[in-house]
Amino acid sequence: MSRLRLGRWLIAIPMSLLALATIYPLLFTANVAMKTRRDYILDRFGLTDALRWENISTAWTSVGMGRYFVNSLFVVTVSVFLLLLFGSMAGFALSQLRFRGSSALFLGCLAGLFIPFQVIMVPLARIMADTALIDTYPGLILVYVAQFLPFTVFLMTSYYKGIPPEIVDAARIDGSTVYGVYRRIMLPLGTPALLSVGILNALFCWNDVLMALVMMPSAEHRTLMIGVTSLRGQYSDNIPTFASGVLIAAIPVLLVYLFLQRQIADGVAAGSTKG
Amino acid sequence: MPMGNTQPSVRPASAGRAGGAAVTPATHRSGTRPRRTRGGLGAERYAPYILVLPAVLIIVLLRLYPLILGVNFSFTGDGAQNGTAVGFGNYRELFADPLFQTALKNVGLLVLLLPVAVAIPGLLATFIYLRVPGHRFYRSVYFFPAVLSPVIVGAIFNLLLAFDGPLNAVLSSVGVDPIDWLGDPDIAMFMVVGVHIWATFGMALVVFLAGFATLDPALLDAARVDGASLRQVVWHVIVPALSRTIQFVFVTTMIGMLTSMFGLLYIMTSGGPEGSTYLPEFYIWKQQGQMNRPALASAASTILFMIMLVVGLLQIKLLERSGKED
Repeated sequence: MSRLRLGRWLIAIPMSLLALATIYPLLFTANVAMKTRRDYILDRFGLTDALRWENISTAWTSVGMGRYFVNSLFVVTVSVFLLLLFGSMAGFALSQLRFRGSSALFLGCLAGLFIPFQVIMVPLARIMADTALIDTYPGLILVYVAQFLPFTVFLMTSYYKGIPPEIVDAARIDGSTVYGVYRRIMLPLGTPALLSVGILNALFCWNDVLMALVMMPSAEHRTLMIGVTSLRGQYSDNIPTFASGVLIAAIPVLLVYLFLQRQIADGVAAGSTKG
Repeated sequence: MPMGNTQPSVRPASAGRAGGAAVTPATHRSGTRPRRTRGGLGAERYAPYILVLPAVLIIVLLRLYPLILGVNFSFTGDGAQNGTAVGFGNYRELFADPLFQTALKNVGLLVLLLPVAVAIPGLLATFIYLRVPGHRFYRSVYFFPAVLSPVIVGAIFNLLLAFDGPLNAVLSSVGVDPIDWLGDPDIAMFMVVGVHIWATFGMALVVFLAGFATLDPALLDAARVDGASLRQVVWHVIVPALSRTIQFVFVTTMIGMLTSMFGLLYIMTSGGPEGSTYLPEFYIWKQQGQMNRPALASAASTILFMIMLVVGLLQIKLLERSGKED
């Protein structure tokens, strides 16, 4: 027994070092963002002597990260709203209602899971160009919704399968319409799943690079992640400003993670155990 | 259009809904037993279709249809030959292109590194499951980089791995010559893959822990009572019990390597140095956006899709085999 306990403490040493390696890069970046350019060149690792927010505000205003931030926030909010709406509607119908063709439709939605964006990038860009949706917010939102809808439908369907059909039957006998059941029973009961799936989708959309790069060519439509990539060329000699831009893009995710870690992990776990 | 067969059956319902939706809620509020109007009945009958319509429409039009369209594109020409059939011309050009060859070679490298990328989170999850001191802390710290965008991760490592950056500064202080981490064609790909594994092992860790949650603790207790060592416990208890989870992680990690490294490649190396860090997804983007060769890009997309099909089919095979073993 004591041998085992000692072993555990020995394992804890490399695990702690790995934990340090996991968070250090972000701490380093945050530290650099607070330094002046001169400080950084003279001493890369030393703790900053003051909390300077100038770099952050430079990145926010003159680099344009503020604008990109608002763009991203808008696109992500609308995309997640539509994903949850369409995903819960389809999930409810596919899990609780019996109708002709339901299993074929479910399989059709599922098939979407196995088509990554890279595979359909070229034709999708052409479809978007033909419908004048390329380089517009609705276009990018539609691409995000299409990308993450199969996963959302899949998770909502398996979540709603766990709700006893008696609840729906009882509501129907009481005279509720199907839409009434959806709105007054399924949406409230689905809250935990909607929260989990919603946060995951928000992270996916917020973090995306490739879709935004292909669908939003013009500079004023850039999302925050594209803004980060544009920092590389412009500010590669001004590391503190560069680090500030990176920090602006990372902080919302950090906050979401600190407060909603449980839901994120649950969403990932649900996706894996039900698969 | 592939939508042809579902639309007619749903159209009348959406027309009926406009009337039904306006009437039924009012009758609900006034009486205990609702009287259904004709419009309401129609809307009720088609309700399931209306509920799935937006999702199905979007998935069919913007996922399944483009897949077919893309395969079609790959057999047509680019530029002056736009739209004309060229047979397998794009595929011949593709496999003769050194950049695409490098991309495929790098896929091979990813396959070789796959066991490492699965073993690391698997082992860490085992320790966390066995309640190493501080296991809750490790769990939340390890998972954190997995929620960061590849672009953010890549930008941070750009900074750390720069030739005149901090890592080389540390090395030179102990007398090692600076290494051009992202500028040396023999090293750069390993750095990018390494960063990818660093950034995503937390995701696999969470999946493993979800698998452990289904494990019967009595098995472990029994093994311990019998005096099994940690290695024996891992090999003879945990691996067989978690075979499904392990397969799932193998497949998702492989798919992740094939489809979510674009951000890292884009910001860390842009495919360079000397084209050594190309992967199919980067090649597709480059040909489509920068080189204006959409048909060639479509051919590369089709190849990428086939690679992913092979990965998927392999998983099904493995699942069947393990099913028989059970």
